[in-house]
Amino acid sequence: MGSALGGVLSIAVYTWREGMRKKTLIGFLILSILVIFGSQFITAFLTTSSDAGSQSELDVKLIKDICVTTISIFGMLITIFVSASVVPTEVDNKVIYTVLSKPVRRFQYLLGKFLGVQFIIIINLVLMGGLFFFALYLKERVLPTLLLYSILLTYFQFLIVSAFTFAVSCTANSAVLPTIGGLFIYITGNLTEYLKDVYDRSGQTQQALDTWIGYAAYGLYNVLPNLQYFDLKDQILYLASNDAPRDTIFSQLIIYGLLYGLAGYLMSYWIFRRKEL
Amino acid sequence: MSAVIETNNLSKVYEGAARGQDVHALKDLNLAVQEREIFGYLGPNGSGKTTTIKMLLSLIFPTSGSIRIMGSQDIDSPEIKRKIGYLPEGAYYPDFLKGEEILRFYGSLYGLSGKTLERRIDETLEIVGMTRARKRLLRGYSKGMRQRIGLAQALLSDPQLLILDEPTTGLDPVARKEMRDLLVKLRAQGKSLLISSHELLEVELISDRVGILYEGVVQTMGTINELLTDRDMSVDVTGITEQNVKSLGDRGISAEDIVDSRARLRVPPSMSLYDALEVLKAERVTVTSVAPRRETLEELFVRVVGAARAKKEGK
Repeated sequence: MGSALGGVLSIAVYTWREGMRKKTLIGFLILSILVIFGSQFITAFLTTSSDAGSQSELDVKLIKDICVTTISIFGMLITIFVSASVVPTEVDNKVIYTVLSKPVRRFQYLLGKFLGVQFIIIINLVLMGGLFFFALYLKERVLPTLLLYSILLTYFQFLIVSAFTFAVSCTANSAVLPTIGGLFIYITGNLTEYLKDVYDRSGQTQQALDTWIGYAAYGLYNVLPNLQYFDLKDQILYLASNDAPRDTIFSQLIIYGLLYGLAGYLMSYWIFRRKEL
Repeated sequence: MSAVIETNNLSKVYEGAARGQDVHALKDLNLAVQEREIFGYLGPNGSGKTTTIKMLLSLIFPTSGSIRIMGSQDIDSPEIKRKIGYLPEGAYYPDFLKGEEILRFYGSLYGLSGKTLERRIDETLEIVGMTRARKRLLRGYSKGMRQRIGLAQALLSDPQLLILDEPTTGLDPVARKEMRDLLVKLRAQGKSLLISSHELLEVELISDRVGILYEGVVQTMGTINELLTDRDMSVDVTGITEQNVKSLGDRGISAEDIVDSRARLRVPPSMSLYDALEVLKAERVTVTSVAPRRETLEELFVRVVGAARAKKEGK
């Protein structure tokens, strides 16, 4: 058991070390840090108000808006890029042959790769979020605790996208298809509320097709993850930085994220267990 | 001796995009690699060698037939994998790691840790002659050094069975000789080796038995001595002229390696040495040496694969 766990951790650390050297990832990270850093200066050009207090409030709101959006977009790009590429890259360069020829079961290999991906996502999130946290603290002189909650939930959002992108990557021989799959998961995961709307409005025409579309939408609404649950952007923009988050049950959201993450991992194992390499 | 690898009617079919386009990569392979032997697994590209190796390592799965490794059919179990060392052809090893770090990573996959792992790393680096380069990043390694590190990772668990895919690729002549010596030494230590290679001379020099595969079917298999029969005589002569060459050629004696007035002649098996010497005497050339000439593995390979190809094409 100990050696099995050691093998998983070794694969995870190796994945993390290799992943953090990918030029695309470094590029995304540098860009995001530049934007977060630059947001401090952009406000000087974009916001104008005669009232000094109101000006400062506008500045902070704009900085928050830019930074939250940046973390969300670049974090998601990094998540999808890394999750989509780790397994296909190892098949392509044959590292997987040397690893799986060792006493390593396929579920251990996948678990190691998956954990490695999570290390990469967490470290990038901590770097971007940490810079934002620091910038906000310098601006407001209060600890922006609300931001910490937001970053925590953002991670679980990324975990869900990462898990399903990873599962798609186990079917593919290159990173292209899983990248598209990851983007699809991210987009649909943010639109699931619309599926509920479709269901609510269905049946009005009394036609069978209309009703069936409604049922299909309702089914998808219940199966697909709702990534909107993890979004605290509005609260960050409109509440004080050191406020507690409202209307958000963290324990439930964390369990929700973990369950979808587990489902994604199990799906990837189911695909990968008999994959011909 | 007992078999460390045993396959029984092992077959692999890759499904094609359409009906009738299936590819039979391996057909009813019955292979037995014995303890303490070096088995040369040969064949042209696409003949099924890599398919066989991948099935032995559970990287792909048989369509039919069975595999036993060290008597066990559970070839994917960690217990069996711990006894196998594998060197894939052209594998990538990350540039950002040092030689010893790579081995630390692979060692951890074997469940090795602490002093045991460090001792095995020291030993395998010593075996492959990479001790001095252990702290260098792989990006500074030559192709040959990478191949040695690849072999070191295969040897880390002190495996009973080594499966090596093109082990001498990228090595210079001195390194090839060292690799050959190393493989022979490993056999002497009691290990069994399955070597897939295109370097036929290397295989001929170290293998106990060879099997030649063509289009997924074993065309011939046996010991080197069984397969490489004495076929003809090699006669070195001096004082040979173009006229002699033509005249000898008409009588079935071919000349090769002609340098000035010296040449090496090949006397066909159908002609006795006595008759050949009479002919040479009549041609007034001076015989400097006579030796029986054995077919090389390369010649056997070309002959066997050529015959299989001709049979397939219906010639």
